Amino acid sequence: MKFIQYIGGIFTALRSLAGGMIVTWKELLTPKVTMEYPENRKTLVISDRWRSELIMPHDENNEHACTACGICMINCPNGTIQVTSSSIDTEDGKKKKILDKHLWDYGSCTFCNLCVITCPSDAIIFNNDFEGAVFDKSKLLHRLNHEGSKLRDRKKEASTLDTSAKKENKEA
Amino acid sequence: MNNRDAYDTAMNEITQLIQQIAPDAQIEAKQRLTVTVRPDQLHPVIEALYGNETLCFDYLISLVGMDWGDRLGAIYQLSSSVDLTREVIVITATADRDNPLLYSVTDLYGTAHLNEREIYALFGIRFINNPDMRRFLLNDQWKGFPFRKDYVHDPKLNPETVVSSEIIDVAPHIVERDGELIEESVAVFGEEDYIVNIGPQHPSTHGVMHFRTSLDGEIVKKIDVHSGYIHRGIEKLCESMTYPQMLHLTDRLDYLSANINRHALCMCIEKAAEIEVPERAQYIRTIMDELQRISSHLLAWATHCNDLGATTAFIYGMREREHVLDIFDKTCGGRLIINQNVVGGVMFDIYPDFQKDVKAFIPYMRRRLKEYDDFFSHNAIALGRMVHIGLLSREDAISYGVTGPAGRASGWSCDVRRYKPYALYDQVEFKEIVRTEGDSYARYLNRLDEIEESLHIIEQLIDNIPSGEVCAKVKPIIRIPAGQFFQSVETGKGEFGVFIESSGDKNPSRVKFRSPSLSAVSVIPLISQGAFLSDLIGITGSMDFVIPDIDR
Amino acid sequence: MLIYSQPLELTKLLAAIDNFLQGNLTPGWTVLVKGILVGILILAAYTLIALSLIYIERKVAAFFQARLGPNRLGKYGVIQSLADMIKILIKEVIQINKADKLLFYAAPFFVIVASVLAFGALPFGMNLHALDFNIGVFYLLAVSSLGIIGILLAGWSSNNKYSMIGAMRSGAQFISYELSAGFSLMTIVVLSGSMQFSEIIEGQRYCWNLFNGHLPAMIAFLIYLISGHAETNRGPFDLPEAESELTAGYHTEYSGLQFGFFYLSEYLNMFIVAAVAATVFLGGWMPVQIKGWEAFNQVMWYIPSWAWFFGKAGLLMFFSLWVRWSFPRLRIDLLLNLEWKYLLPINLANLLVMVVIVLSGFTLTDLFPALFGK
Repeated sequence: MKFIQYIGGIFTALRSLAGGMIVTWKELLTPKVTMEYPENRKTLVISDRWRSELIMPHDENNEHACTACGICMINCPNGTIQVTSSSIDTEDGKKKKILDKHLWDYGSCTFCNLCVITCPSDAIIFNNDFEGAVFDKSKLLHRLNHEGSKLRDRKKEASTLDTSAKKENKEA
Repeated sequence: MNNRDAYDTAMNEITQLIQQIAPDAQIEAKQRLTVTVRPDQLHPVIEALYGNETLCFDYLISLVGMDWGDRLGAIYQLSSSVDLTREVIVITATADRDNPLLYSVTDLYGTAHLNEREIYALFGIRFINNPDMRRFLLNDQWKGFPFRKDYVHDPKLNPETVVSSEIIDVAPHIVERDGELIEESVAVFGEEDYIVNIGPQHPSTHGVMHFRTSLDGEIVKKIDVHSGYIHRGIEKLCESMTYPQMLHLTDRLDYLSANINRHALCMCIEKAAEIEVPERAQYIRTIMDELQRISSHLLAWATHCNDLGATTAFIYGMREREHVLDIFDKTCGGRLIINQNVVGGVMFDIYPDFQKDVKAFIPYMRRRLKEYDDFFSHNAIALGRMVHIGLLSREDAISYGVTGPAGRASGWSCDVRRYKPYALYDQVEFKEIVRTEGDSYARYLNRLDEIEESLHIIEQLIDNIPSGEVCAKVKPIIRIPAGQFFQSVETGKGEFGVFIESSGDKNPSRVKFRSPSLSAVSVIPLISQGAFLSDLIGITGSMDFVIPDIDR
Repeated sequence: MLIYSQPLELTKLLAAIDNFLQGNLTPGWTVLVKGILVGILILAAYTLIALSLIYIERKVAAFFQARLGPNRLGKYGVIQSLADMIKILIKEVIQINKADKLLFYAAPFFVIVASVLAFGALPFGMNLHALDFNIGVFYLLAVSSLGIIGILLAGWSSNNKYSMIGAMRSGAQFISYELSAGFSLMTIVVLSGSMQFSEIIEGQRYCWNLFNGHLPAMIAFLIYLISGHAETNRGPFDLPEAESELTAGYHTEYSGLQFGFFYLSEYLNMFIVAAVAATVFLGGWMPVQIKGWEAFNQVMWYIPSWAWFFGKAGLLMFFSLWVRWSFPRLRIDLLLNLEWKYLLPINLANLLVMVVIVLSGFTLTDLFPALFGK
């Protein structure tokens, strides 16, 4: 009886092992899943919502929507955003805050998206340009507002411009 | 109604029981029965709750160290292995800040051991009768107790160093003999022990875990768990953050169940601030949770197989996980850390093809499960490596608080989704997979079966997602009322809990995460004693823990 | 017996070289130059085969795992292992402070010398045989078991606990499986009545030993594959270097060229096992021939003998890779169980059965001399 078990055990084991080998054999012939980056750059699809780099969309007049309110900075959990502003006197004599620098540190961002969802004027978004590697740590500090840019006049512009600017940026 | 009555009688019973032992204990019936006792009454009270046959509070969900400014203390969240809905909270505190001492409950709950050591490291409270009172998470040279409110955060006190220090193998402890407290120390390992460091850099510890293993030939004699290499003090960080800010840290605990962890914290805040979550958000949350569970189990399966030497299986598991991650990626722009849940709902609505993608994934995954079965589940070598290896009895699983697939493999029905249903789990039909073998193989099979159950849950929900808002209107600054709040969920690893103590401010005053991985690790020295070195690796693989969840 | 036309055979080339040397040098120098030439050729072949095996293994493993494998260097990554070799050659050899220096440096040489010695005695093709001992099988078994000394030394001298455990496992494993490998080869020696490779191959002209000895030969073949696989320390028998348990086992502390030696010899040992199995069971370099089908045989002879040899060995190596990438690793007690409770007793019984079959004339050549006879 024991002898039969012994022989039976051998065959059960061999059958189970053969089962495993059949699976690997089938896999040998299936299409491979490796993506050959960077050769596949042209066909690579990055999802629209992919959060990669924080940007401030500017329109063709080099205008953005940031009012320098600093809510993104307050909401950021780890001090990744620094907004510096200065106040100027407008034509009608009122004080107005304008944006000097909107600094964002790629290196310490956790991509939690809080800044984007809390921004009252939808001035910043994440794009999906994922190739952000640099050779120098200091280059990770991005200035989001362009040189010489200014605040878009809300009354003049409809929100259509805003969306078109966003689209443009995505395509870029 | 019947349930309610039973609940009330049980609570009355508890009250009576406690009043017999500690007449001056304060008993309040908040959301849960909260009992405040003097330190010297703590052990008798908990022992009575533990030993009472009808109540049977034999499961210590979590042990939270507390600093209330004038007093240092601990909160014991007890539950019953028979009925997880039965909960009681025992609070104790001491006013002695220089040499705070509490009584240990390690004799009752195995899981208390590492938790008490953690509290010692973070709050400086020492526990009488805990056999090994070394610091956990922090090294022995650390000055000060970082989680105390008066902790001085000064880099000069604890300078960064690259010089490694010797690990001290002497464990101090305090024992009570004949009413006297005696401080003693014992050696962790014998002089002649052949100690092998499994970790902190080791391919199979799934992170920077350090098992100091004493070997007799190939046989494991004793394991000393040494962790804390990636202790980031997330709980402390949370105290300085607003509630929305805290959310992104939960993803960094058990990163394989990132979404589910975050769900727990969101629910805890929503419960406290009484925010109603829209129906659509609940659907999305539940589906995403189940997808996350699938991905977590797939990775657990893959790494378990890899630990047993089957590299190919590892790649297969990762390949299937990629499909889930792609869905996450398209839904919320993240793969591992997905930032989907926010207080009041979800951050991103599902994308137009979401249902199509998920529906395509379900049959694909089923085919793969079949393949996994053919490939590995019946393999003679794999069976030899898993069957009757790392036996964990039901009693030990409960004592050490091992929940999740591992706890259910030991015959303990402990699915939070079933006992304390949240989101939509009370509306879907699913089986709780329970096996009684308690070995590595049962844990292995449980995970694969749970993937199937998760697919089943998703199938029930995917076509019925109602339209509507995905996030409730929430005030920009969320404040939750003063009090203690707790919410647990079922992650891929087991019961994950969030404890918040709020003083009504916009920051919490204490946050504690109940980590299922910590329980899993705390039981490894027990179940791998006498096993082969190779089996130790197999057992750690089968327990499936994630180090950032342990270290927090 | 007919002489078939063999256009691609290297026999003529070799004869030409031989004539050239003998015509220009004294007999003593001829032997010396020939020895040097053969030595260089063997070492070159050793490196080439090992490098290509490394590439093939990575590629095959990747395909089993639904990946592409090396694909960066050259078309399909073909020069990947060449680049790896260069990298290993220029890497620093790290000195281990508390290691036993002499043994530590000697260990890789033991391993590589053992495998070169075994490699040198393989019959690669018709007349492509450096040494044709009359006890070839015995010699091969003897020198290939030298390698274990190197592994044990490496583990011991590294002064590293992982290495030590790995080496101890290796010792237990190697000694156990050497028994099985030896006995299964003995089974075939009984069948073919010789220990000389050339005679064993000649005896398989019309019928491979695998079929000639039918059931016992097949069992011996299977056991040889299993134990040979185990001797090469490759998965599922890779306990000595079990990377998920012992990081890299006995060669944890080695770097640079020394590590390269272990690495090369591992692959070469795989080749040697496959080559021996091909020679002893599958007719070695002898093309497939059927008695009486002269046209068919001629076609078979157009394929040169060395291609047959590498083809057969390659097939067996592919099988070995297939096994390696399909199974989880055994545990040490399971491993020894397999040997002492299964392989060895079966093997002993098998040897006995083979003796009975040979003596009572139940081999295929004896039963059907018209079809398979010599």
